Amino acid sequence: MTAPIDLEARDVVKSFGSFRAVHGVSFEIPKGSFFSILGPSGCGKTTLLRMIAGFLEPDSGEILIGGRSMAGIPPNRRPVNLIFQHLALFPMMTVAENIAYGLRRRGVSRPEIRERVGRMLERIGLPGFGDKRIDQLSGGQKQRIAIARCLVLAPTVLLLDEPLGALDLKLREQMKVELKLLQADIGTTFVYITHDQSEALVMSDRVAVMNQGRFEQVDTPQGLYYRPRTAFVAGFVGESNRWQGWVIGVSGDEARVRTQDGLELIARASERLVAGQPVDLFVRPEGITLSKDPAEVGGLANRLAGAVESVLFDGANSRVLVKEAQTGGEVTAALPQTDRFADLGPGQTLHLGWNAGGGLCFGKTP
Amino acid sequence: MSLRLRRYTGLMIFMTPAALWLLLLIVLPHVDMFLLSIRPKGPGGALTLANYTRFFAEPIYWNTFARTAIYSILATLLTLVMAFPVAYFIAKMARGRGKGVLFLLCLLPFWVSELVRTYGWMILLRESGVLSGFLVWTGLAAKPVEMLYNDVAIMIGLIYTSMLFMVVPLVTVLDSLDDSLIEAAYDLGGTAPSILREIVIPHAMPGIAAGSIVVFMLTLGNYLTPTLLGGKESLWFTEQIYNQFIIRFNWEQGAAFGFLLLVLSSAIVWVGLKLTGQTLAGAVGSR
Repeated sequence: MTAPIDLEARDVVKSFGSFRAVHGVSFEIPKGSFFSILGPSGCGKTTLLRMIAGFLEPDSGEILIGGRSMAGIPPNRRPVNLIFQHLALFPMMTVAENIAYGLRRRGVSRPEIRERVGRMLERIGLPGFGDKRIDQLSGGQKQRIAIARCLVLAPTVLLLDEPLGALDLKLREQMKVELKLLQADIGTTFVYITHDQSEALVMSDRVAVMNQGRFEQVDTPQGLYYRPRTAFVAGFVGESNRWQGWVIGVSGDEARVRTQDGLELIARASERLVAGQPVDLFVRPEGITLSKDPAEVGGLANRLAGAVESVLFDGANSRVLVKEAQTGGEVTAALPQTDRFADLGPGQTLHLGWNAGGGLCFGKTP
Repeated sequence: MSLRLRRYTGLMIFMTPAALWLLLLIVLPHVDMFLLSIRPKGPGGALTLANYTRFFAEPIYWNTFARTAIYSILATLLTLVMAFPVAYFIAKMARGRGKGVLFLLCLLPFWVSELVRTYGWMILLRESGVLSGFLVWTGLAAKPVEMLYNDVAIMIGLIYTSMLFMVVPLVTVLDSLDDSLIEAAYDLGGTAPSILREIVIPHAMPGIAAGSIVVFMLTLGNYLTPTLLGGKESLWFTEQIYNQFIIRFNWEQGAAFGFLLLVLSSAIVWVGLKLTGQTLAGAVGSR
């Protein structure tokens, strides 16, 4: 690691009454990186963010920004700024006054404020917007103004609290790319919290998956997707077919699993498993090979057959839902957009197959 | 019946009570009052503006009016200063049940009549009253102190009577202020006084204007409180009107004073709105 650490948490704990919201979280974020905290609602990510911003104090543990402990330092004296979920632009001020607010509070001189605000507006692609009122802006423009209002203060770390949540899908896709490019351009450390895995995966250098107050795994987006370390991460990041069952045999790092509905599958074991141990088994829809001809999947370690239940067409993201012949269970598989499957319809027989490496099983803690 | 006609009839039915109320209780009396005010005293005689010119000619009249207006403005400002923290606490700090209880506590004094409330203050402030007795008992005063019948007593009474009318619009407007705006300002380096000045007060301006108009009008038109707490020398303009009507039987002069009170107070409210950059529509919440 060559980049200095901008933000560090050491064993941070926060409880509300008897509810433990954040449960001993530690992490280090190197300067200039885009770090996301991904988790379902109620997992403690907002609490963690508010502790970094200074609106909450940890019960124990320590937060360091730029190597300096933040204990007892109020939000208005921390070198971090927060983009609120609903942006919290000041409606009683113009765009320029909004961006200038923090500079005014720091006592920067008027000509310098005017110059820096103008430069900031240009950087975010909204030159000449200074005199507009907030309610004259579109959703995407508001987003950019909220970011400009923080970045003009040159914070060490910029915190973002699901700011894309309120936008419609098209704009959200566009802003994802824009945010990523902006971050790469200015080089400020971003900490982004979200429950939307696509936002986290697309934008981040590293992602922490959070569940019930703990970090389950901190990794690159690829790492989370291909090498999830816990059942929660495997289920939460990306789509998966999921079976519950128990181990009936282990050879090397592969486990033979009998599922509750009676299938026998071979999958990679994420840890040391022993025969008889209950496990969760995950198979990604995009890891399943589809064929109309059983011979084509004959060489694969796991083979299933079934009738098409429905085709969920979504362009390149199309899926097919197959009712497994032996057990009646449903399996979702990615549907390649090739001529071979163009005429696929309900009731047709399909053969599914995947290698041992396409499945992953996790021992269940009893 | 065509749809438009039916809708029109429906509107008429719903509007009739309000229109009748406006016409019978507000427009008619005022027209009558105005006609009365431009007649000379006594039977016969041509229409005249003498009743109005007398107001400006006699210093005692317009001095009383100026005094009433200035004290009303002062009472409004003091009420605002006292009600704002109360409203802020109720709207932003109190949670759940506490909020309702605090609001109820503000409302409680208004369950008794204004007369009883004012007598309550008289019991506290008079020479043989509770406060005076306490001062003598602790030795802070050698003999009983008269605290009634002065301007401070009038002010206390007026502010006490007005508090609720300021607190309610302020709580409403502060409730609508998104907490994240305050947090965002704090996060961007704002301090408590600057956030109050730049975020909270600008947001609360319509509520401040609404509360101030109501309190100013109520105070200016108050008769009971200044008379009881200020005594004979209270010199409140409503007393002048009362004197003209009841003591001197000069209804024409009283009517002219009543009209002047309406016009001048409206003018003061207008100037106040202009100075603070507010609109009447904003203050009554239609913006």
